[in-house]
Amino acid sequence: MGVDIGELFHKEPCSYTDFSGKIIAIDAHNVLHQFLSSIRQRDGTPLKDANGNITSHLSGLLYRTANLVEARIRPVYVFDGVPHPLKARTLAERRERKEQAERAWKEALEKGDIEKARSKAQQTSRVTKEIIHQSKELLAALGIPFVQAQSEGEAQASYMVKKGEAYAVGSQDFDCLLFGTPLLIRNLTSSGKRKLPNKKAYVDVNPEIIKLEPDLKTLDITREQLIDMAILIGTDFNEGVKGLGPKKSYQLIKKTKDLEHAIPTMNQTILPTSSEIAEIRNLFLKPTNTDDYCLSWSKPDNNKVLRILCDEHQFSRERIEPILEKFIVLETIQKQKNLFEF
Amino acid sequence: MFNAKVKSDVLKGIIDVTSPLVNEAKFNVTSKGISLRAVDPAHVAMVDLEIKSKAFEEYKADEMELGIDLDKFSGIMRLANSGDMISLEYDEDANRLIIKIGNLVRKMGLIDTAGMPDSKAPNLTLPAKIIIKASELSQGVRASEAVSDHLTLSVDKDTFELFAEGDTDTVHLKLPKDMLVELTTQGKHKSLFSIDYFSNMIKSVKGDDPITISMGTDNPIKVDFDFADKKGHVSYLLAPRIESD
Repeated sequence: MGVDIGELFHKEPCSYTDFSGKIIAIDAHNVLHQFLSSIRQRDGTPLKDANGNITSHLSGLLYRTANLVEARIRPVYVFDGVPHPLKARTLAERRERKEQAERAWKEALEKGDIEKARSKAQQTSRVTKEIIHQSKELLAALGIPFVQAQSEGEAQASYMVKKGEAYAVGSQDFDCLLFGTPLLIRNLTSSGKRKLPNKKAYVDVNPEIIKLEPDLKTLDITREQLIDMAILIGTDFNEGVKGLGPKKSYQLIKKTKDLEHAIPTMNQTILPTSSEIAEIRNLFLKPTNTDDYCLSWSKPDNNKVLRILCDEHQFSRERIEPILEKFIVLETIQKQKNLFEF
Repeated sequence: MFNAKVKSDVLKGIIDVTSPLVNEAKFNVTSKGISLRAVDPAHVAMVDLEIKSKAFEEYKADEMELGIDLDKFSGIMRLANSGDMISLEYDEDANRLIIKIGNLVRKMGLIDTAGMPDSKAPNLTLPAKIIIKASELSQGVRASEAVSDHLTLSVDKDTFELFAEGDTDTVHLKLPKDMLVELTTQGKHKSLFSIDYFSNMIKSVKGDDPITISMGTDNPIKVDFDFADKKGHVSYLLAPRIESD
């Protein structure tokens, strides 16, 4: 999801140790969606407990967060608030695509096409209210802080990095760059392997970092111009102009400076209106954010985690207990100062 | 060009003081000697090391950088006994360090130093200075390891104290001024430190050898000592921990 501007940015490979001791604001909706799509059985069935409830998100949150914590990274999860009214169209489209994918999944299963079934199943993932509620409950028990954004989670996470409270945003979504995060880390919570679509091959997935300022400098544009480009390409909040991808939009904005000058040069029928443009620019440049949160990591409440995972969802106690030990280090890291603070 | 002969103990000394903080290090070589500055990945501690050419039996070098994988180097040095003479030679064409231990020739690939950053030391004013025998300090630190993961160092004009507290046990080491080599301070000072880091910093200094501590209140600590018969010097900085709730 999000805007398709990735190819314009330089992605620098990095590793967990680069972020040791640092706070990373994680786009919760983005990673939960990732867990729900990828943590599945071979035929695409998500992980489920004895009562048939999906548990892929809980498994992902526990294991992937443990990996971060083990590298002494301090994660804070940022959850989406109320979506902007302009996002309604995107959300409706997504819903429809998911319903289609669900039908295709069932068909593929009936035909015994496991490959296709899995691929369709991955497209059906829904981050429901129930999943968000359970995720927050698990994070609280693990001693990991989370922030409830007013609107977009990416906006709030970027705001926290700009404020200097967090080092970078962890998300797959390039929208974070439009919201102005100086650093974006992708593949932070990936499993290390990703299946290539329609192939029986896997590629290694390693974390990569994108630095906004140097890239804007190389592209020789401002963030305002990047947002104008995004509006042409299409964002979660508007459809974009037919035939305009990242490259053409970049050239156009580079030549004409801004949308006001770019639009008169185009002869398409469907173009963003000036009120739409103003609204979307404003949404990226001045999103509503909250300061109502506390960045504090505490020891996990082991009994509570075991109750949630093992008693309620039948995770194996022997497997969860050693993972929990990894979380103890968080309290210590929090109290340790860093040399460059002086 | 880099061509040197040195006792294995000197190289082991270098590894002992750097490897607890970093896996890879950039050694700056000049005609006068070798220096290194490295910061651990969590940015909690920094090591500054200098070793004069006099510490080597033979030493010929132009200005250059050697990127060394310390784990690998440490493994190679374990092949040598104490007192063994080690010959080092830089092979520029293959970017390797040729290490000779007796009749054994070990060629070690070097790491590209281009991506390794030069860290700047923070600017600190540390009002208290304590010089203490290594054995006194390490006794207190070893005792503290058993009870907690952090310790408190405090100083006033008469005493230097080390204190560690666990759930049930405590450690208290109180050294009056006359038990120390030197104590100068302006006022009382106190800071907390991670025992893991602190014990790694002082573990290579033994017996009566002096360790110089510079500290303040809730400020990093600076730990200085000589090695390789005073022909080498190490200076560590360690960021403090903040008081527990």
